[in-house]
Amino acid sequence: MKTRLTEMVGIKYPIVLSGMSWISVPKMVAAVSNAGGLGILATGPLNAAQTREAIREIRKLTDKPFGANASLMFPGAVENAKVLLQEKVPVINFALGKGDWIVKEAHKYGGKVFATVVNLKHAKRAQDFGTDAVIATGQEAAAHGEDVTSLVLIPHLAENLKIPVIAAGGFADGRGIVAALALGAEGVAMGTRLMTTKESPLHENYKRMTQEKDVYDTLFSKRFDGILCRVMKTDAAKKAVKTGLNWPAAFFNSRDIAKQMGIPYFKLFIGVLLSGYKNARQLAYMANAFKAIRVATEDGDSKTGVLPVGQSQGLIHDVPTIAELFERIVKEAKDAQARVNAALE
Amino acid sequence: MYNTQITRMFGVQYPIICGAMMWLCKPSLCAAVCNAGGIGNLTAANYETEDEFRAAIRETRRLTDKPFFIGITLLPSIRITAEHHKMYVKVCAEEKVAGIEFSGTPLDKVAGMEAVELLKKAGVKLFHKVGAVRHALHAEKIGFDGVYAAGIEEGGHPLNDDVTTMILTPRMVESVKIPVVTVGGIANGRTMAAALTLGAQGVMMASRFIATKECEVHDNIKQELIRRQEFDTVIYGKSIGLQGRGLKSKVIEEVLAIEARNGGFEELIPLLAGQKVKQAWETGDVDYAPLMVGQSIGLISDIPTCAELLERMASEAKEQLARAGKLCGNEAQQNSSYKEQL
Repeated sequence: MKTRLTEMVGIKYPIVLSGMSWISVPKMVAAVSNAGGLGILATGPLNAAQTREAIREIRKLTDKPFGANASLMFPGAVENAKVLLQEKVPVINFALGKGDWIVKEAHKYGGKVFATVVNLKHAKRAQDFGTDAVIATGQEAAAHGEDVTSLVLIPHLAENLKIPVIAAGGFADGRGIVAALALGAEGVAMGTRLMTTKESPLHENYKRMTQEKDVYDTLFSKRFDGILCRVMKTDAAKKAVKTGLNWPAAFFNSRDIAKQMGIPYFKLFIGVLLSGYKNARQLAYMANAFKAIRVATEDGDSKTGVLPVGQSQGLIHDVPTIAELFERIVKEAKDAQARVNAALE
Repeated sequence: MYNTQITRMFGVQYPIICGAMMWLCKPSLCAAVCNAGGIGNLTAANYETEDEFRAAIRETRRLTDKPFFIGITLLPSIRITAEHHKMYVKVCAEEKVAGIEFSGTPLDKVAGMEAVELLKKAGVKLFHKVGAVRHALHAEKIGFDGVYAAGIEEGGHPLNDDVTTMILTPRMVESVKIPVVTVGGIANGRTMAAALTLGAQGVMMASRFIATKECEVHDNIKQELIRRQEFDTVIYGKSIGLQGRGLKSKVIEEVLAIEARNGGFEELIPLLAGQKVKQAWETGDVDYAPLMVGQSIGLISDIPTCAELLERMASEAKEQLARAGKLCGNEAQQNSSYKEQL
């Protein structure tokens, strides 16, 4: 497959691994890149030193192009992004903030920068400051999409942008990729599908649940982590959404985060307080969500854990290796085209 | 040429169907879509008496000799009752219309299997608009000829399973044997190409047809659809168990405010009455009544004739599919099958 995305970063398949906390870890990133896609390291749960170590680990495991994300809303994300620039990571994927300075620095060493967007306004702004591609997140995606669905968002962006559009949300197989290309995208980002593969570090319990759950078994709410977020519909998720923000829990969980990130708690606490009520509330939400996602992905805990998944979980029926998955996708894409071509005759 | 189960079933040029829209899908628009090579819709709820309904079918037949759908919504309403539903079914059978787009409650549960049998005997093709696989399986079981897979992006009443078209169409295609037609988010050749790739045998769209020359609606409305973007629609009515998607407007803000403070059905009814919608379409006042359009309005940027629209969609879809084929490296296939018809 040859698209503007594959040519730009030098990969075989126009398939990007979404940067998912505790899943898009060095081994997984390298596995996707080695199989011909583009692995993206999730730096959300890492501090600067851990980020640097992770990049070096990826480089030991693969000589193929890879990327890393920076969710600029998270504490420590700016420091992590600086490490990515120092380490000259081939692709940096920023989200939830303004990444013009990342673009400027990355371009100095020939790095590419992708912006994750949910609407044309943000996409255009990213294009204006030199971003190389956008990852457009539709409503059906895991975690942070907004109301507009992939079917409407992708063609709208593709028609109005010069830079390549990577479609995220709802893509799990070959027919989906052809559909994305037909809508005008140059590739797709896959989260839910890739987390359900042999190489994925996602806990076995959740790999099983992803296969069992259907297309409608997700919740899409602002009451999990403070912004619209899609998660697997489980009793724990229902409870989390029903409860909304639990301040005392956030207090405890934020101590864990400070410890994990290696920031003195006092500094984190004061920093959060100084950032204003709205931001403090957002970070408190995130602190609880962080914990819930970690125990789901790492411990497989379905009692208190919550896992972000896309509606595409209902299209997933097995746990292949990444290489098997990519081969099958190529075949499915051919079949879908042959079928459509027959209908056009 | 398009050759899908839908084009074959109805003998039409394009697998593009107009969805039911109360007050807008009248004989003129219906015939315009048919004459352009698609399948038009005549929406039954425009007509309260048997004579009016039958006259509208005959009027449409004067304007086109092509097949068209009747749109019948099987939901409790103040103006249109169960008696109306029975009358519509009877007239459709007597007039041997080409097809019916049902939505809402399954036909057998409202009017019994005898209604299904009556229509099938008259040669009427039966389609139900569904938002979930379980509803599609029911339609298939009682002998329907196809289903519309309606994603959450559609205007009107999308099912509260909230599944998007990108997911619902392939999920439905792998679950039923009868043809699946994609609804929700379709407005141009790109979206149609995607739907066909996902396994749909055709597409149905409604909002896009409002902004055509032949649609009898105030020009303000058409201009508003061009101006507004894909994020300018909103879901409302969750609190009363019947969610709808409509254009963001003052009246919908009011509806959402009432819902937010747990205001009841009685308070909402005056704002949601169908008669007000008729007036809004006619006067062009978008803030007067909820206008149930879908996210696809973000893809509308002009007011073509139906013929121009369908022709453009058909060729754009082919171009996009050829592009996708090329990107996937399937050019050999493209040479043999695409080149001759492009």
